[in-house]
Amino acid sequence: MAVFRWGQAFDAFRDLEREMDRLLAGVSLSFHGVRLGRQYPPVNLYELEDGLLLTAEIPGTRPDDLELTVADGSLTLKGVRSGPENIPDERFRRQERPRGPWQRKIALPERVQEDGLKAEFSNGVLKIFLPRAAAATPRQIPVSEGNTADVVPRLIEGETERRTEGGETV
Amino acid sequence: MNHPIRRAESDTPRPESATPEAAAQTGQLVFNPPIDIFETEQGLVLLADLPGVTTETLELQVQDNKLTLIGRVSSPAPEGATLVHQEYAIGHFLRSFILSDEVDHERISAKLNHGVLEVVLPRASRPEPRRIQVTSD
Repeated sequence: MAVFRWGQAFDAFRDLEREMDRLLAGVSLSFHGVRLGRQYPPVNLYELEDGLLLTAEIPGTRPDDLELTVADGSLTLKGVRSGPENIPDERFRRQERPRGPWQRKIALPERVQEDGLKAEFSNGVLKIFLPRAAAATPRQIPVSEGNTADVVPRLIEGETERRTEGGETV
Repeated sequence: MNHPIRRAESDTPRPESATPEAAAQTGQLVFNPPIDIFETEQGLVLLADLPGVTTETLELQVQDNKLTLIGRVSSPAPEGATLVHQEYAIGHFLRSFILSDEVDHERISAKLNHGVLEVVLPRASRPEPRRIQVTSD
């Protein structure tokens, strides 16, 4: 079962990742926000007093092209980074800005009040506020005697519950 | 120099690397923003991704033949917020370009839309050939 408490699981990796970012910042300056093998857009997550704040940099996405949906405990961000229109390729002297449609699905942590999500989009920065849900009251689970066979969870070596470092469980 | 392709190359603004001194001064990261440059009938258009930069925090300078853009970015989170997961770093933006004589420095204009800066660099109009009167005594 999921034993990790969300919000603290990243602590161990946070310092390492920050250190890596510091090192990488000096190398990959020309591709700000876009790193190979990572989903677009990259997101940051902050813990606030009354909830969580998710931020993403999506310059060049028009508010009309931005779509946010919440379903089944996950948040989907969808949009299009528009480039200059009707400009033939041969007119470009430099083309570094990424463009095209993008989509990212982010699993919402438990204890987030899904219908209370608020989003703000200005200057190419998207901010989504995820309010904390009221603490759930403990529920008693009745135990009855039965003859169902025990289900032993299968653990593959090297693949324990510490699979959170991928960063996809946001 | 008279070959059209050679000339097209020579008037491309050349990006220079961000000065490390500027980064050291603020103690914050400074990024080289990604840009597009394309030609239009009227001149050149430069687009730069500057998320988090506002018209108040953007500085565009033209000095001699150098165009410099400086965008300052502050944290999107309120004070007291704890960063619990980070996939991108926040920093200022800095990039500069060498403008050719073909650009009319006086008529450069800029717009900032949804985190993208658009700088229009109009082509300087060629002065009309001037006839020099030749007189004889």
